Amino acid sequence: MTDTLPRTAAAGDAPGTPSPADANGRTRRRRRWSLSRLDMAASPYLYIAPFFVLFAVTGLFPLVYTLVVSLHDWPLLQGQGDFVGLENFATVLGDRFFWNSIGNTLSIFLLSTIPQLAVALVLASILDQHLKARTFWRMSVLLPYVVTPVAVALIFTNVFNEQSGLVNNLIGLVGIDPIQWKNDVLASHVAIATMVNWRWTGYNTLILLAAMQAVPRDLHESAAIDGAGAARRFFSITIPSIRPTVIFVIITATIGGLQIFAEPRLFDVSNAGGIGGSQRQFQTTVLYLWEMAFFRGDFGRAAAIAWLLFLLIVAIGLVNFAISRRIASVETARISRRAQRRLAAHQGGTR
Amino acid sequence: MTAQPMMAPVRPSPESSSARKRRRGGGSGVALRPGFLSYGLLLAWILGSAYPLWWSFVVASGTNATRGETLPLIPGGNFLANAARVLDAIPFWLALGNSIIVSSVITISVVTFSTLAGYAFAKLRFRGREGLLVFVIATMAIPTQLGIIPLFIVMRELGWTGTLGAVIVPTLVTAFGVFFMRQYLVGVIPDELIEAARVDGATQLRTFFTVAVPAARPAMAILGLFTFMMAWTDYLWPLIVLSPQNPTLQTALSQLQSGYYVDYSIVLAGAVLATLPLLILFIAAGRQLISGIMQGAVKG
Amino acid sequence: MRLSRATSAASIAAGTAVLALVASGCATDTATGPNEPGGNGKQIELTITTFGTFGYEALYEEYMDLNPNVRIVANNIDTGGNARTDVFTKLGAGSGLSDIVALEEGWLGSIMEVSDRFVDLREYGIEDRGSDWVDWKYQQATDPDGRVIGYGTDIGPEGICFNGPLFEEAGLPSDREGVAELLDGGWDRYFEVGADYLAETGRAWYDHSGFVWNAMVNQLDEGYYTSSGELNVEGNAELRARFDQLAEATLSGQSAAQSAWDWNGGQSFVDGTFATFICPGWMLGVLQGNTEAGGGSADTGWDFADVFPGGAANWGGAFLAIPETSNNKEEAAKLADWLTQPEQQIKQFEAAGTFPSTLEAQQELAANPIPNAFFNDAPVGEILAGRAEGVIAQFKGPDDSLIQENVFGPPLQALDRGEMTADEAWAEALQLLNELVD
Repeated sequence: MTDTLPRTAAAGDAPGTPSPADANGRTRRRRRWSLSRLDMAASPYLYIAPFFVLFAVTGLFPLVYTLVVSLHDWPLLQGQGDFVGLENFATVLGDRFFWNSIGNTLSIFLLSTIPQLAVALVLASILDQHLKARTFWRMSVLLPYVVTPVAVALIFTNVFNEQSGLVNNLIGLVGIDPIQWKNDVLASHVAIATMVNWRWTGYNTLILLAAMQAVPRDLHESAAIDGAGAARRFFSITIPSIRPTVIFVIITATIGGLQIFAEPRLFDVSNAGGIGGSQRQFQTTVLYLWEMAFFRGDFGRAAAIAWLLFLLIVAIGLVNFAISRRIASVETARISRRAQRRLAAHQGGTR
Repeated sequence: MTAQPMMAPVRPSPESSSARKRRRGGGSGVALRPGFLSYGLLLAWILGSAYPLWWSFVVASGTNATRGETLPLIPGGNFLANAARVLDAIPFWLALGNSIIVSSVITISVVTFSTLAGYAFAKLRFRGREGLLVFVIATMAIPTQLGIIPLFIVMRELGWTGTLGAVIVPTLVTAFGVFFMRQYLVGVIPDELIEAARVDGATQLRTFFTVAVPAARPAMAILGLFTFMMAWTDYLWPLIVLSPQNPTLQTALSQLQSGYYVDYSIVLAGAVLATLPLLILFIAAGRQLISGIMQGAVKG
Repeated sequence: MRLSRATSAASIAAGTAVLALVASGCATDTATGPNEPGGNGKQIELTITTFGTFGYEALYEEYMDLNPNVRIVANNIDTGGNARTDVFTKLGAGSGLSDIVALEEGWLGSIMEVSDRFVDLREYGIEDRGSDWVDWKYQQATDPDGRVIGYGTDIGPEGICFNGPLFEEAGLPSDREGVAELLDGGWDRYFEVGADYLAETGRAWYDHSGFVWNAMVNQLDEGYYTSSGELNVEGNAELRARFDQLAEATLSGQSAAQSAWDWNGGQSFVDGTFATFICPGWMLGVLQGNTEAGGGSADTGWDFADVFPGGAANWGGAFLAIPETSNNKEEAAKLADWLTQPEQQIKQFEAAGTFPSTLEAQQELAANPIPNAFFNDAPVGEILAGRAEGVIAQFKGPDDSLIQENVFGPPLQALDRGEMTADEAWAEALQLLNELVD
């Protein structure tokens, strides 16, 4: 980036300021010119400074300092202790509860992302049609989004109560035995994923809907004329065209999914105020981080967990990014070629 | 400390707007007309997803025994009584006030600083701009939750634990906000407009207020709405740094759930009460929220 | 159009914010209170944090009436477990603790590790009151250096709560005296009757094994630690024998496998899911609250028997401590002292069922038995006074509550659900012990 600003200089000398060429005026103009030059040069930095200063303090510093804490023996009450190198990392990596929490997190993440995406795609393609009362439908779909995760957790903890919850009552009607929603590992993951899905499906539906509306309508029309049915068009036109958005939804769901906290903490509060089930059936990594720091009071190990989770998020983010980039570029090329062909054929046909 | 970033980058295809117009005209979209199946599916989904909320209200207006009913549909008459017991059990109004203060301050701060920085990145030229922008994008994925331990230590040193400041300060800016405003402003303000202001002798700051801010207003509203939601729903950090005496709505609410005996109609009355403010806001500004999400998706 | 909608959305948000600010302003006002300009000038605000059901509300009012210059700002945390997290987080934060903090006996051991963070109450004359309390209560509040950090509130002598109608259905004696006689003996006797009950009715005997285990451990001379403070679980034959005894009964179906502190919203107390329940004094209020939340009442038939398997046992009880961070140590000590006087302990007992830790109050309750209408008119005060005799102060180590809840909790729940054998459960407990306690 260069800091010579030719256009700006030109603007300063613009003929829009006709003035008598007396000495006074020239000095004034020069002073104004240099002031404005300072204004030009300094302003951008002044505008970004608040962000960067605050971000350095509240975002970067904690991240670095977490590393410092993770390299020390650091009990909650006594504070900074001896430097222990990577010992905390070694302990955490050898800790079955850590791996348990990673497994739970990934499992809940898969159970919440895949069905959510599938349902959101279907809903979005329905909403993409000529519906009557469009806004009404969209608002209704989005409704659960206004319920905060804590309230969602309170509601669904009761919905999934093992002895007298809504779900077990309903499945009892068709003769299914009560499911142990809190004790059974998979069932508990389904329950928690349901909370996440319930709140976020409508939201992602709207994002996918926005992407679908950006797909050239002519593509659909020409395909329809070619005799492609709705399902066919959905898979061969809609999905490929919105793939970057789909991937974006997956990425955000990943980052969100790796940080689930309120739902598992509040799903079962009978143990230590909520550590994710009596046997950590649904303890996520952030919940384990919380337990380590504020229940067991071991900041050193908790900081190591935080860093490992951070690395995991970065790794998954990079993989996502690489995949999405490749897919996106391949797809765009293919689609636009196909689109052009279709359009040409279509227009040729009608003309 | 959001759980999920909020807006998706969708590149609008150049034809889309005209295509959409044509489609609204209703000309050739035969195959796109929705059938009964579409309405039916949509209605089933909406009823299914609204029911847990309604069920909460029904149980909240009944007793613990209501929870055991199979498919209760009719609310009982105990809602106000249960709501009153919620107000006894937790400092509801204090928590509501705290949540509003925290969310409002964070929203104002994030929107202000994001607009300033976003404008600079979008429209001003300065040394290091590209590099710094890449930095902003790279840091978007860093979840602030991971910094809770040092933040806690810092708050302890500052003596801020238990105060609203401890909740507000860590979220005063977000990288996402800057990126979002930059993406919006890059397309929406013509360079000529800034040139013209400069020619008229306006200072940079004046240009910012007379040109950038009016143009940025829709995006500021969207960013504000989502930042408010993010701050409002945050649970982990307030739980750690605030005490039950001075809670936010979320931490106060979570207290209802545990106890030596729990009356579920009260827990759910609390969940319903805490949802009401956002529900009212949603009904009032729902269109805005929807176009916000969808525009965010397109513009981002 | 879009812009104006944005503006209206923003103005709605702003309007709501203003309204709520006003509301919260009012709320804060009432919280800080009027500064009593006409008073004696020096208004003192004391904060106090308790947990569970403490029954102090009326006493605060009374104290403020007696001391117009004192304003008590009370806060109650839902459970002892969350109170523990709260205390430790704030100790870690170095600020935020109330002027008076209630500590539970179960995690007092971990507090004793940092007992210098709390005021030595001898400075405020607690020694003169030393003989007010049962001696072990006062001892528990004394740290190894001889500093006394807590005013004893209640203790938790344990009896057996039982459901009369269920006993009757099973053909067992259903009156208090009859049940006391029936269950007199060791744990083997308790489980024996449980087996009969199970055989007769097909229903569970106790709610879940965690509470039973707690009692079985608490009544030993030495629990998870030796008296000298050594961790003593692995290879502890006495502990293992009791564990096996409990495991056998549980695996045979005597446990109702309930989640503690939930009991299906109290309904399990009402619908006959189990017939007996471990009842330290403070649990009586919990049982009543649960039964009522579950739609039951005095008619549900819960009663309280003057008997406990294996002899006297204590579970829980609390202390009022004053953190060094308090700015009103002297006034706080006055209030804590007053709250734990025999007279107030009796009122607390009447309000919440928490059994007094002072001898005078205990004698008073024994001498003037008040029938408890909820528990079939049982003279619970008198019974608890008797149950308190012979309780020993077991040494509580720093990780006692952690071992109870997080080391033995999970394997016991696995036993409740029949997922592990006794050997597996014990092995799991030892493994958890290694992982969680260092």
